[in-house]
Amino acid sequence: METRLITGNEALALGALHAGVRVVTGYPGTPSTGALASLLAMEPDGVHVEWSTNEKVALEVAAGASWAGQRALCTMKMSGLNVAYDSLISLAYSGCIGGLVIYVADDPGVHAGMAEQDSRGYACMSDLPMLEPASVAEAYQLIQSAFELSEQVGSPVFVRLVTAVANSKAPVEVVRPDPPAPFPAREGGVPLSASGRGRGRGREAKLVRDITRFTKAGSAICIAQHRDLLARLEKAGQIIGEMGLDRLQLAPPHPSPMGGEREGGAGGLGIVTSGVTASYLEEGFEIAAHLWGRNQVFSRNLVSVLKVVAVNPFPAEEVRVLLHHCSTVLVLEELEPYIERGIYVEARRMGFAGRIVGKLDGPFERVGEYGVEQVVRGIGAALDLPVPEGLFQGDEAAEHLAAKRPITVCAGCPHRGTFMAINRAIRKSGYKKDEVMVTGDIGCTILGMNPPFHAIWTEVSMGASVSLAQGYVHGGIETPVIATIGDSTFFHAGIPGLINAIQHQVPLTLIILDNGWTSMTGMQVNPGTDEAFQQPGNRRVDIAGLIPTLGVEHFFVIDPFDLDEATETIQKALALPGVKVVLARQECAIQAMRQGIRAGKVRVVTENCNLCKLCITLTGCPALGIDVEGDTITIDPVLCYGCGLCAQVCNREAIERVSESASERLSDKVSE
Amino acid sequence: MNPESRITNHVSRITFDVYLVGVGGQGVLSIGEIITEAACQKRIPVNFYPIKGMAQRGGFVQAQIRLGREVTGANIPERGADLVIAMERSEALKAVRFVKPGGDFLLFGHVWAPTAVMLGKADYPTPEQVLEQVQEAGGRMHYLDPERLPLYEGVPVPANIFVLGAAVGHTGLREVLGPSDVAQIVQTKWTRGTERNVFAFQTGLEAHPSEGQVTR
Repeated sequence: METRLITGNEALALGALHAGVRVVTGYPGTPSTGALASLLAMEPDGVHVEWSTNEKVALEVAAGASWAGQRALCTMKMSGLNVAYDSLISLAYSGCIGGLVIYVADDPGVHAGMAEQDSRGYACMSDLPMLEPASVAEAYQLIQSAFELSEQVGSPVFVRLVTAVANSKAPVEVVRPDPPAPFPAREGGVPLSASGRGRGRGREAKLVRDITRFTKAGSAICIAQHRDLLARLEKAGQIIGEMGLDRLQLAPPHPSPMGGEREGGAGGLGIVTSGVTASYLEEGFEIAAHLWGRNQVFSRNLVSVLKVVAVNPFPAEEVRVLLHHCSTVLVLEELEPYIERGIYVEARRMGFAGRIVGKLDGPFERVGEYGVEQVVRGIGAALDLPVPEGLFQGDEAAEHLAAKRPITVCAGCPHRGTFMAINRAIRKSGYKKDEVMVTGDIGCTILGMNPPFHAIWTEVSMGASVSLAQGYVHGGIETPVIATIGDSTFFHAGIPGLINAIQHQVPLTLIILDNGWTSMTGMQVNPGTDEAFQQPGNRRVDIAGLIPTLGVEHFFVIDPFDLDEATETIQKALALPGVKVVLARQECAIQAMRQGIRAGKVRVVTENCNLCKLCITLTGCPALGIDVEGDTITIDPVLCYGCGLCAQVCNREAIERVSESASERLSDKVSE
Repeated sequence: MNPESRITNHVSRITFDVYLVGVGGQGVLSIGEIITEAACQKRIPVNFYPIKGMAQRGGFVQAQIRLGREVTGANIPERGADLVIAMERSEALKAVRFVKPGGDFLLFGHVWAPTAVMLGKADYPTPEQVLEQVQEAGGRMHYLDPERLPLYEGVPVPANIFVLGAAVGHTGLREVLGPSDVAQIVQTKWTRGTERNVFAFQTGLEAHPSEGQVTR
């Protein structure tokens, strides 16, 4: 054992390695990205790790490995689970052979954009077990339990983290992963003994042919699989009980804290909580004890706690014991009241007459993150104790004074040129900006909605830009309709939309902003990334080669750093009939600069600058500034990529491109 | 006595919560990493939770460090941070509601103006406005003027390490982590620029921020 300072994502990765995972797949998505990214960086021997084209593909690859008898892990953010769900429900019916764990990261509080989707609902809907670690250390342990559970039951198992756990860093006791060791392949459906843990990588692959499990051939098979699925979930409940994952601590019988005798030994407060919320309990108890008196009104010793780790199947047995023991139950559960509703059902079945305090009948809402505040307020509400006004409530007035800091694209980002060219092309085509629909998509390209561009109107889901645009056309919009999408997003889910447009010959202009990387999530390789950065033996799929083969008649490739030509090409495309595709191509500046590449060099010609600030207004480039004396534009030499867009918008020749030899002389001067 | 300070006084073991804000490119997260690693070395339970905005540079960055609790959630409650470290004047305002009444608020008054401010189309807070808000929240202002950033071999030292030194030298953080605990991590974290970083940390330790005012 050694103590390592790791994130929740890294804890999952190391735990999976220790559990003998053989195949790891996923698609990047904050906050889940770190799990697979850290495995890729580790390059573990004998483990296949890949960023797949999308989450559905990733899950299917992992499932195939599981059906071949290997342990497999599939990682994604909550939005990705929506993409993978079509396959997931089918896999749930079929079950698995090697342990199959699906790691999904939810984002309460929406730190990374998109939705406050509570993916526990998917576990309920697909009748699959789901384990939820409360901390980084627990993540390391529970992913190993998840693999064991998955193999013992023969069912895929979810592990769910939220942002606050996935991206937290904490010291964790970890075991160095065992080296791969030979381990016999197991027969399909036969449970593997727990002693097999950590040895999976050496396992021999095996083909199992069983159409009653691995196909959906006919209603009889599907109905039988549905019964099997429900039986597996029940069995999972038993095994989770044997593993002791859900922890119930009953307080000793005692008089009610509110005074008076309790009937039949029952009474007192019971708290049901799970996941990250559970990690705030002790802090909440401390604060409660100080607010209301350690012994007089509130005593932590007199509170029973059920910490739910397996959020599906519902821990009915533990809940029944708690309801027997307590007169009031407080449910501390972030986002949707899944556990709370389950408690109501058990309460009804038992004739529980006490109070259930939570979201359905209590102080909490289904929006936002839970913290220690909810623990203290919940205890107050459950015991009818007053919570002092202003506790945990800072003054938001200060924040309103802060300058707004809209996110824009990085200095040197090629998307800047494309957004500027789109705006220019619309204007030059004789339209006003609010007459031309520009649909947007997921990733860095969505930043075109922000100042100074204000180019993009919509953001729905991966690939939606292309299809949404078609709806606008069919809906009767007669001005040009433009769709914008990044390279990784195009591969992920944009291609079917484009094929639809081609088949139905929908007049629209699709602009693919290809910077060669999956950038927003932290620079992952995608199918279009340069071959030099692909894993050994992998091949690049070139969008420029793909588009013409689909039957697109009007296909253009532009350099987004050449503003005039890019504008002209887009303008031309807007006027043409049918499906037009424009591929705007330059590498992500961050990645290029990491390779020591710059597009060029520019400098300010101070005597020409009249500080009209047009360059800042039109490009919004973070490398541009105004000098302290306030009489000229400045360019940050570290940030500047030399894309030259600022020079192209300046109408006084106050910013000029520097030739290579001149730029060397310039840098010599600077270093002097 | 307000409820929060009673809570702190009663807890026997030391718990200490640090809330960090700034913008991307200032090394805010490195401050968090160093404090976290130093705590880890001392076997102090720690949870470090960084939140990065989407932008590489110039975007909002925030991090929370919770020291001393074996089991802890990542988020510091409002009015709960024993120490706020703010690396940028305007971003500092976003941390005001998190400072505990009586807690330390260390502000490095660097200005990173958003484009709209640069163009004169939006307001930017004055140092006095920030001071007023911090004091209204009950925070104890420790102000470091960016002009005070020392030079090492003629070049300004990394501001984040300088500010970290000031935090260890002049705020409640020193009750949890001593100068040598932190200096050790500063020395070993990067292979390059060690002497420069140690110099930045040492000068920070002795920086004596302006107390309760925002002048040099």
